[in-house]
Amino acid sequence: MTGKIRALVVAGTLVAGLAGCSSSDGDGSGGKVTLTYAYWDQENQGQAMTKIVQEFTKSHPNIEVKLQFTPNKEYWTKLQTAAAGGTAPDVFWMNGPRIGLYASQGALMPLSDKIAADKVDLGKYPKSLVDLYTLDGKQYGIPKDFDTIGLWYNKALFDAAKVKYPDASWTWDDVRAAAKKLTDPAKGVHGIGAMPWSQELYYNTIFQAGGYVISDDKKKSGYDDPATIEGLKFWKDLLDQKLSPTVQQMTDNDPIEMFKSGKLAMWYDGSYDASQYFKTEGLKAGVAPLPAGPKGKATVIHGLANVVYAKTKHPKEAWEFVKFLGSEQANRIQAESGAVIPAYEGLQESWVKSMPGLDLQAFIDQLPDARPYPVSKNTAAWARLETDAITKAFTDGQDVEATAKQLATAMNAALSQEK
Amino acid sequence: MRSGGRLWPVHLVLAVGAAAMVMPFFWQVLTSLKTFTEATRTPPVWIPSFEWANFAKVLDETPFLQQLGNTVVMTTGRTLAQLLFCSLAAYAFARLRFPGRDVIFVALLSVLMVPGQLFLIPQYQIIQGLGWLNTLPGLIAPGMFSAFGTFMMRQFFMTLPAEVEEAARLDGAHPLRIFWSVMLPLARPGLLALGVLTVLWSWNDLMWPLIVNTDPESMPLSAGLSALQGEHMTDYPVLMAGSLMASAPIIVLFIIMQKQLIQGIAFTGSK
Repeated sequence: MTGKIRALVVAGTLVAGLAGCSSSDGDGSGGKVTLTYAYWDQENQGQAMTKIVQEFTKSHPNIEVKLQFTPNKEYWTKLQTAAAGGTAPDVFWMNGPRIGLYASQGALMPLSDKIAADKVDLGKYPKSLVDLYTLDGKQYGIPKDFDTIGLWYNKALFDAAKVKYPDASWTWDDVRAAAKKLTDPAKGVHGIGAMPWSQELYYNTIFQAGGYVISDDKKKSGYDDPATIEGLKFWKDLLDQKLSPTVQQMTDNDPIEMFKSGKLAMWYDGSYDASQYFKTEGLKAGVAPLPAGPKGKATVIHGLANVVYAKTKHPKEAWEFVKFLGSEQANRIQAESGAVIPAYEGLQESWVKSMPGLDLQAFIDQLPDARPYPVSKNTAAWARLETDAITKAFTDGQDVEATAKQLATAMNAALSQEK
Repeated sequence: MRSGGRLWPVHLVLAVGAAAMVMPFFWQVLTSLKTFTEATRTPPVWIPSFEWANFAKVLDETPFLQQLGNTVVMTTGRTLAQLLFCSLAAYAFARLRFPGRDVIFVALLSVLMVPGQLFLIPQYQIIQGLGWLNTLPGLIAPGMFSAFGTFMMRQFFMTLPAEVEEAARLDGAHPLRIFWSVMLPLARPGLLALGVLTVLWSWNDLMWPLIVNTDPESMPLSAGLSALQGEHMTDYPVLMAGSLMASAPIIVLFIIMQKQLIQGIAFTGSK
């Protein structure tokens, strides 16, 4: 009994008399194929997606692409539900923390053979991104965009405190010294925001201290490594010296809004927030590459990829579309929209220029120091533990080292469950 | 004057409570008229610069009227169906005698204990099997009946005097006839309460419409408005303008039906 028939039987017992309704797959007419493309950011990327589809249809008149938007929060629930029903979209956005789960459960079509057959050059995309979407030697996604982290600073606050703007030569010591000078309790201004956020903040300093989050073979947590703990302590010290608002204060008032309102002089944040800083009137912001730690420079790189559903009815057309999404032409459309940095080599320039005055080049210049976003097959299983533990560690009166070691034990247990 | 003097502390407490309840709505109205920068300022800006264009933007960026229509059809369909099906089932559980009645009723009640998310995948597969994905029937069907509504209406029927029913039976009325012409009119307050609760629930329902429908044109307002939320950035004034327009009809309904709603909640002890 196929799934469809079983569903009909169940439905039939519930809704007597409707058994005559049949489902139709809606294709088979005139050779025209309809693909569905699912994504989760309409507000900032919807226009670029529409334009890319229009361009694709021009060169592939026999393929129609339907855009399917679902907000980020419900996107994964919907995808899982639809995949359980065997009707997930043909092509959809994927991120680093989820790729392991979806690929290992066979929901995604491996693209390696097609990439080889059509001679798609993966060298055009940042290597750490290509690796992020490789599992057991198979490529599952073509990179769509990427983001790195930079040191955002408020030029007006720096001018007022007569501190030199950050530049590529900065180290942790410079950050500490500047934070001290910029903190002004009377005005409610803090030198920096030490929020317990992984990608934007502590992953970066962990790497800069020579630590790691998860071992290369994905079997061991790095949170009991002294270097990793040093990367966490960088933030804890700033919190202890009151150079940052407390975690509680930043939970009540989003630190992003605090930076926009001139309450934070420095703030580690991703390239993806550039457009909202650009749009905020009265904020004169700049960006510098992340300051170097004891073991040099590092920034987390993450990016989305376009993937193909394993059970798509039109694998050939879906691949054609994904290939187009990874093309220079489609990436150029993304670049001009300014919403994300396109993954394709050489197109970052137009993204940098889309927001003049913000020195966005800093995000691109850091590519040689970029470190892949740490993931495993079931990232969600330990990411939750991580968030809770580090938030606790950053709270007043807590010991970072002890909390990190507890986290390592819990995370190792979660990792041993992965096959 | 003596009683008025004694009441003022009570009034003060109530006034503070009322202000706390009204504040979020008031803030929503203010935010919907601000510019993006004003909306995200710390400390907050109180006086907006009256950006009426936010409302126009909602109409530009989403098929608002189409989605409003979908919400109305979905809510009407679900509510009428629940009133009919729940009261039919409830009447049977309350007044008819048949073998296994109480066992079935307890089984039905157990459905109330199951979290809604568990139904998601089976319901999706049923709707998919029927070929109703991305359609209005797909939106309406799973909301046509509820264990809660049945339970509520059963409790209501239990409170009605049995004598009225006996009189009708002596006059030779068929059970269905008794239900339709005698009991249902008596159950009007219960029906109204269930109706108002169902309308509220259906109007705000977000998860199911997002899961089952994919095209903006077939989505209700709750799901459609979520398109205004970005992953990293949201234009809050526009989102608030959209939410305000979406909730206006339901606020009007609440003002008209206030008494029934409060009765309904008081009657069932839940909402």
